[in-house]
Amino acid sequence: MKHILSVALASLVAAAASPPALAQERADTAAVTRQELHGLLEGLNEQLQTLQADTDKLKKFKFSGYVQARTEFSESSNDSVRVSGSGGTLATPNATRFFIRRARVKLAYDSSPLSQAVVYFDGGADRTIRLLEAYVTLLDPWTPLHDHQLTIGQFNVPFGWEIERSSSVRELPERSRAENVLFSGERDRGVKLESQWTPRLRTSVAVLNGGGVNSADFPATDPTRGKDVTGRVRWSQGTWDAAVSGYWGRQVTPLTGPDVHTDKTRFGLDAQAFWTLPQAGGGSLRGEFYSGHDVNADSVRTLVVAPSSSNAVRLLKSGALASHLATDMRGWYLMAVQNLGERFQAVLRFDTYDPNVDLGHDQFERWSLGLNAFYDGFTRVSVSYDAITTDVPAAGGRFTDPHDNLWTIQLQHRF
Amino acid sequence: MKRLLLAPLAVAVLAAPVLAGKPITVKGSDTMVILGQRWAEKYMNQNRGQIVTVTGGGSGTGIAALINGTTDICQSSRSMKQEERLKLRDRYQTMGVEIPVAKDGLAVYVHAGNPVKSITVEQLRGVYMGSITNWKDLGGGDATIILYGRENSSGTYGFFKEHVLQNRDFSARVQTLPGTGAVVNAVARDLNGIGYGGAAYAKGVRNVAIAKDEKAPAVMPTAEAVQDGSYPLARPLFFYLRKPPAGDTKKFVDWVLSAEGQRLAVEVGYFPLN
Repeated sequence: MKHILSVALASLVAAAASPPALAQERADTAAVTRQELHGLLEGLNEQLQTLQADTDKLKKFKFSGYVQARTEFSESSNDSVRVSGSGGTLATPNATRFFIRRARVKLAYDSSPLSQAVVYFDGGADRTIRLLEAYVTLLDPWTPLHDHQLTIGQFNVPFGWEIERSSSVRELPERSRAENVLFSGERDRGVKLESQWTPRLRTSVAVLNGGGVNSADFPATDPTRGKDVTGRVRWSQGTWDAAVSGYWGRQVTPLTGPDVHTDKTRFGLDAQAFWTLPQAGGGSLRGEFYSGHDVNADSVRTLVVAPSSSNAVRLLKSGALASHLATDMRGWYLMAVQNLGERFQAVLRFDTYDPNVDLGHDQFERWSLGLNAFYDGFTRVSVSYDAITTDVPAAGGRFTDPHDNLWTIQLQHRF
Repeated sequence: MKRLLLAPLAVAVLAAPVLAGKPITVKGSDTMVILGQRWAEKYMNQNRGQIVTVTGGGSGTGIAALINGTTDICQSSRSMKQEERLKLRDRYQTMGVEIPVAKDGLAVYVHAGNPVKSITVEQLRGVYMGSITNWKDLGGGDATIILYGRENSSGTYGFFKEHVLQNRDFSARVQTLPGTGAVVNAVARDLNGIGYGGAAYAKGVRNVAIAKDEKAPAVMPTAEAVQDGSYPLARPLFFYLRKPPAGDTKKFVDWVLSAEGQRLAVEVGYFPLN
């Protein structure tokens, strides 16, 4: 560009200072220079358009992710660290630990206005790169805003508020216990149809393999030997939202001989209300209720004779009823979040989960208190304390609450 | 346990540096960037010590900055989308505060030598969706129409897509340019070019009168037509904030909405709210 300007300037100066005899010749030279300049500009314009086309292609890629580095101070150890050569667990529980909870990278590609693909990986806790999500979405061509979208692949199960919210925006480090148990891993493989009927009304229906990404059989094609169906209807008013979710499927407990087939159902209700305080900023109150019927891991442990090296059979214990393998469960949480200015956020949650409503002393209860400090638009520090109450059988037929409360400090960066 | 308590507190304090006398940051719409800069200059002249920084990038960029907390005020030439409001709510528990600050007529530019004087919204839709490709179909000469437009982060792009294209997709022939100024420059150099953008930018090009339909009269983006709503592509221009304005930000917003701020909007080429 400097060269072009120099040539133009030199031509102008020369033309202005020249005697009349040379004027025509100089004018011709200036004309040639103008042509050259025009050619140069056209060339630059072509290059710019080529670059623009390349840039437009690159813009179709959307690259995002986040890292959650965490420190925990626990009242008890929850890992399996062993002293090398000792053969036993550490005498002192490994109660303070550093680890990477989540290290996630998502790549989305909008190849056309009518289709897109997403691949999403996590390389967090155990250093293994895992495929979290991989799906292709087709957008309907008959509505201007593509209100109906069909997704095929591995994706979040459309059930409840907690699942659809990214872990990178959640105010506490972990979801509720009920969600963790009922939808471990949050994802499954199948097909999903999402529809935005009005700006406020949205529905999702999915047909899934049913095992979920964290099940022992995953990624077996269909461990439940029958497809599960789930659906969600959500009304989003803005200052309050509410939704209802349902899940219907079958669960198989493999035994030596005929397997046991039981119903696997879940029902969910969730609602959120939002407000803004003049000085502090936004706040919200959220609640979610889960209930259902499914195979209970405790019941399986109690009622099934586990195979051993000497006896490989897996049978119900004598007198045990197959129908008792599945139990009715219930769980819920209530959570309040209040922003304290632009940089702080306080959180309080109570959550509970009862895996068998007909049985006592198996409930899980937790009070969680958290504070989030936003360092900048992308990084935040979270400090939380979980006070957990569970019953463990103790001497004399009594129950005791184990010391398993937990402090968590987490540094998260999103990009 | 004391140590356990102190460690989290220390981290929290370190993470929140105290920011005193913070300048007001304004980011977003390229259409509004000149207007925002003029507002800021005049306001800073009248309020010594208060800094207001204004940058562009497009309405989408401004809204992203509002969500990320990197701007106090977002300037936008389109309404926030529901999904953007939900993202804001995810972080701040609020759907944001929308404050109309001026009006604009989204103008359609052609080259000064182009004989086409008016166009209907339906024809414009056809041009930008690719079903009308020759000027002779619009009463001009026999030449291919060269389409110029904005990037999809632009609020002007969003408004045009929603109100002219009825949310349908643009033709692949549209050459996207970074800023209304670039669109105006391109059309000014191209006899067969057509572009769109804020009426205030129409220098060296000619605005085309727009008719709502075949039966309606074609209207130019004049102050009267934008104010009375007869210009089909009149639009409000917004400030978006995370929460109701307070303190220095409120003073600035109040000044923008004052008679003086609105007068300045007219001087720059936009139209007042009332």
